[in-house]
Amino acid sequence: MFGYVRPFRPELKCKDFDLYKATYCGLCRCLRRRYGLIAPMFLNFDFTFLALLLWEPEEAFIPCRGRCHGNPLRKIPMCPDSPALELAADESVVLSWWKLRDSVRDDGFFGGLPARVLSAALGPAYRKAARRRPDFDRAARTCLEELAALERENCPSLDRTADAFARLLQGAAPREGERGRVLSQLLYHLGRWIYLADARDDLEEDKLSGRYNPVAARFGQSGDDPVLRLTMDNSLELMGSALQLGEFGCRKPILENIVYLGLPAVEKAVFDGSWNEIKKQKIWRNDT
Amino acid sequence: MRDPYSVLGVSQNASDDEVKKAYRELARKYHPDNYQNNPLADLAEEKMKEINEAYDTITKQRSGGYSGGSGGSYGGYQQSYASANPAYARVRNLINAGDLNQAEQVLYEVGQKDGEWYFLSGSIAYRKGWLDEAMQNYARAVQLEPNNMEYRQALNLMQRGSAGGYRPAGYSSAGCDPCTAYLCCSCLTPWGGPCC
Repeated sequence: MFGYVRPFRPELKCKDFDLYKATYCGLCRCLRRRYGLIAPMFLNFDFTFLALLLWEPEEAFIPCRGRCHGNPLRKIPMCPDSPALELAADESVVLSWWKLRDSVRDDGFFGGLPARVLSAALGPAYRKAARRRPDFDRAARTCLEELAALERENCPSLDRTADAFARLLQGAAPREGERGRVLSQLLYHLGRWIYLADARDDLEEDKLSGRYNPVAARFGQSGDDPVLRLTMDNSLELMGSALQLGEFGCRKPILENIVYLGLPAVEKAVFDGSWNEIKKQKIWRNDT
Repeated sequence: MRDPYSVLGVSQNASDDEVKKAYRELARKYHPDNYQNNPLADLAEEKMKEINEAYDTITKQRSGGYSGGSGGSYGGYQQSYASANPAYARVRNLINAGDLNQAEQVLYEVGQKDGEWYFLSGSIAYRKGWLDEAMQNYARAVQLEPNNMEYRQALNLMQRGSAGGYRPAGYSSAGCDPCTAYLCCSCLTPWGGPCC
């Protein structure tokens, strides 16, 4: 369910690329400092987007140099710790944990074994994160329970199931004030979009294994790409309009790149089947 | 009130043309057409008001205290459709006030389902972010009452997908020229002409 939210590299400016990379590395360091050596393994592009989104708009981009977690011999520029980065790090751990629990439940005893091992490894970090963000943890738990119940009863409504996941992500930002409204609208539709993209991506797999798939439940086994795509585009459109109403300071160009170019590119790849190849590529290398 | 120049994002000594250009770009961005039925429409409206005031202030200052208001400034945009059924009118008010649960309840108490029922049900779904259901309901409303412009417009707005709406310069989707996309609705721009 992760990894869909990435920038479109060919259209990135160098300064935005540096900012993105420094945020990614800063989030990695923040995870390592707060949660030890295991948590940074769960870092991905989606959490980086969350960090960029939550960052205080008035704060400028002033990277510091730190040692890379992957290769401690290298010193690279990274964003220094900030409340937004810490919030994103805590929420990343919570989300990773619930994602693992979800796989444990879905994949049966043997299939779920890797997820079981990983979730045991992440356990201490999760408990710490849940203590720090009890509200978010509770919201994530209730939303996923609702989602599981809807999946069990084979819910035919695309919106109802997507709504449960979208509300989960919506809880990632504080909801007060004008900024809170903008962020929660943006995150809601991001969650909805991710859920639908993931459902479309798993359509074939779920058909073979006979698992519930919201797209299959709504449109039948073969799906209905034009209609699904239109409703996903509508979500992107609403994300874009929310983005325009918010203040994001120097992080706005990179956020615009992700929402206006990155997500549509991923959506296209999911629909034409090339996503399985693309998702393995690291965006750091220029080979897309 | 904030400095009108910083509202428009131009410097104090920008030329009249630069001010106008900045104003137009912002007006295009916050235009109510981009926020129809959007839960954040009121924020956009506030921003629109802010840039209108800023532009008016600057033009007044520059023309030496002339207080006729600017012709280019974008006026209020209130579309109101009357409902024959009082229950529907209440639902519309509730939707506008953002009380979706209540609106849904009132709507479900109406027994017979006509075009407007489906349209309002679609509007509630849209506000909630349930876009698939919104689309189905709008389509049903248009099917029942094909001549109603309001329902048609709502459906069209959803069917254009990512082709419409505001994009900052440089982010237009590939193969889609913003000028041609806007040509059809050029009469809706605040200055009554093409967008660029």
